[in-house]
Amino acid sequence: MTSDFIVIGGGLVGAAVSYGLLKLGATVTILDEGDTAFRASRGNFGLVWVQSKGDGMHEYATWSRESSDLWPNFAELLVEETGINVGHHRPGGLELCLDEAEYMDFENSINRMHNQPNVAENGRRMISGDEVRRMEPSVGPEVVGASYCPYDGIVNPLYTLRALHQKCIESGLIYRPDHEVKKIIPQIRGFKIITNEGYFLSDKVILAAGNGNKALGEFVGLDIPTGPERGHIVVTERTSPLFNYVLGAIRQTDEGTVMLGATKENVGFDSGFNFEMAAKIIDKAVRKIPALKKLRMIRSWSALRIMSPDGFPIYEESSNFPGAFVITCHSGVTLAAAHALKLAPELLGNDFNGKFNAFSPKRFDVR
Amino acid sequence: MTLCVDVVIIGAGPAGMSASNMIHEYGGRAVILDEQSEPGGQIYKAIDRVMRDRPNELSWLGSAYHDGARLTKKFRSQAKDYQPGSMVWHIECRNLDGLYNIFYSQAGVSKKIETKYIVIATGAMERPVPIPGWTLPGVMTVGAVQSVLKNSGMYPSGKLVLAGAGPLVLQLASQLIGAGISILAILDTSPKGSFLKALRHFPRALFAGDYLYKGWNLTNKIMQSNIKVYRNVTELNASGDGRLQNLSFKVNETKHCLKADTLALHEGILPNVQLTRLLDLEHVWSPRQRSFSPVVNSWGETSLSGVFVVGDGAGVSGARTAEYSGAIAGIIILERLEYIKESQRDLIIEDRKFRRLLDEGIRPFLDTLFPAPERIGEVPDKTIICRCEEITAAEIREVVKKGCSGPNQAKAFLRCGMGICQGRMCGTSVTEVMSKALEKKPADVGAFRVRPPIKPLSLEEIVTLNDN
Repeated sequence: MTSDFIVIGGGLVGAAVSYGLLKLGATVTILDEGDTAFRASRGNFGLVWVQSKGDGMHEYATWSRESSDLWPNFAELLVEETGINVGHHRPGGLELCLDEAEYMDFENSINRMHNQPNVAENGRRMISGDEVRRMEPSVGPEVVGASYCPYDGIVNPLYTLRALHQKCIESGLIYRPDHEVKKIIPQIRGFKIITNEGYFLSDKVILAAGNGNKALGEFVGLDIPTGPERGHIVVTERTSPLFNYVLGAIRQTDEGTVMLGATKENVGFDSGFNFEMAAKIIDKAVRKIPALKKLRMIRSWSALRIMSPDGFPIYEESSNFPGAFVITCHSGVTLAAAHALKLAPELLGNDFNGKFNAFSPKRFDVR
Repeated sequence: MTLCVDVVIIGAGPAGMSASNMIHEYGGRAVILDEQSEPGGQIYKAIDRVMRDRPNELSWLGSAYHDGARLTKKFRSQAKDYQPGSMVWHIECRNLDGLYNIFYSQAGVSKKIETKYIVIATGAMERPVPIPGWTLPGVMTVGAVQSVLKNSGMYPSGKLVLAGAGPLVLQLASQLIGAGISILAILDTSPKGSFLKALRHFPRALFAGDYLYKGWNLTNKIMQSNIKVYRNVTELNASGDGRLQNLSFKVNETKHCLKADTLALHEGILPNVQLTRLLDLEHVWSPRQRSFSPVVNSWGETSLSGVFVVGDGAGVSGARTAEYSGAIAGIIILERLEYIKESQRDLIIEDRKFRRLLDEGIRPFLDTLFPAPERIGEVPDKTIICRCEEITAAEIREVVKKGCSGPNQAKAFLRCGMGICQGRMCGTSVTEVMSKALEKKPADVGAFRVRPPIKPLSLEEIVTLNDN
């Protein structure tokens, strides 16, 4: 089976890129794993987040903001094309602080980002506890302040993934779940991809396999220094609408459930559940929003983020095997719009590495 | 401070009580956590209270039910650490020291126990039977009707119809007849020819002949009553304006309609796998019982050392087999804790295994006589599968067409199984519907991943957990 592109990984990154490629008339095959694979796209929180992105890399700040600006139209496009409302809203976001130290951290981050050259103005500012409570009456007395950014928003990541899959398939995508890639063999022209279910041929191959990329990169001369970082999420039962803003680690879905996050652990490839982590999440959440106490927790899970050493995305075309690309980030939701509408066209162009120079993994060699 | 114990038994039905009785018999101790307020599980629900307060009802509740008192009496006298009203919502496996943390909720307060051994005896649940209209008020399950009957002697008023197949349908019908409660009709959904097929297993069933005798009696009682029985019923539909009013179904291509106020559905029972899935134990699909159950060895131990599953939770085989299995797990644990010697252990185990073997003789016969329904994968498109999120069979089939490869992806795409019941009500049906749509075996389709808490509980309870 031959196509212009083989995308390895059917999560938010792979699906968004495929969506963009198919729009431009390319033929695409996605090779995906099975039902119980480590799937960051199924475990994430659903923020389209701007305020904290790019502290240390202004190109990433600009890129995140660009995606956030693309999202309203992107969401509309998806509804038109698939009938699936992905629930995008951009009410602005508040990162609530429970103590002065946290407040200082956010304040310092704002200052650092302001001082970076060429960073897009993101309207982020610190506000006092009283002002927070005026904006968001459900916030409790323990909150001392917040970092506010008007461009922060949310989307339903699961519906987004489903809408992308649906549109891609309608546009001629060949989708192959339960196809684990064993090997990539560069050919004189193009690539041969060996899976547990036979082989596939393509001109170009895109690694969008999250934490699976690292091993796959070795076949095509790409050094991808990412690793898993475990995060937990707790979900409550449905309740009436509670918030005017998105509260960072507390977000209410359109369905009415409240999602609480987020933790960071380095535990390798283990998406098991650690109760201490859930307890920490809940403890913080109810201190921020006391009314949550009465809600019942109905589910929780952990998933593995895909983290690079500096936390920023990695985009690169292999110089040894041109036509092999890696696209990886831990912000597949925020960046979905940019990946679909801005990054995909560059995969058809001639200067991918030039366009995304800042995101090259070569940045890690220097250090 | 966390309480540390040798053994925690979860569930006080026949299997759990029997494990406890065995352990205490030889000087061991176990904590028993059970959701209900009194021992007995589902099968012997409220047995002590019925004997005390409503003894005249025992005559029609039946001798199999009365039998439970033998277990509860011993259980109550020995199990000093019996904790009724305790809902286990999470088990944590501590790989470093081989211990387990059990989290449970009691009267709105959550606690944690540390233990070396766990006996999971959480039994079975009724198979959810999706049919068009099954979410209407007035449609319930046979088990629910029976449970209320045992618990409080109450029953549904108005026109009552029982539909389905399985020993429980016969038992409830006979109990209702005994109590003088009228049944409008029984719709028997077992496929044509089941009886002839079951005859092949008749010789082995003779080893557990008392079941055959009881079954014969139940059937006779129904035949002698004036209840209308429809056989080979298919295409059952419930409908009504805001609540159940009408039933329609086919018998050999002839359409029938009935007016009804209550419909009690039943298509057998399934192992309750919430805890065993939570622990990520290995599970197998039983094509005969059409359900998943955890893999256990002959003394009930799972792929996780120190974790035992006994009773219907390890594959449905009835109350008496559950009792023997509970005793076997109990004796294994006693020996590991050095309360008894190996030789003593083996003697008791051989005895219980032999009795269990005889008792299990009835299973192939029963499972063939009342075969697990194969039609759940083929329910009409409009049928709701996930009640909490109101997801229909059509929606599941649609995402399968779009490349969705398993229940967990369907859950992500549709919210199917994300609701307040946490997938308990739709899990098996989703596997069945996807299995048909994907043309894959249920075993290869898999099941929802289960994450804590396995029952909803308030955030406040979790925040205050460490204070208790």
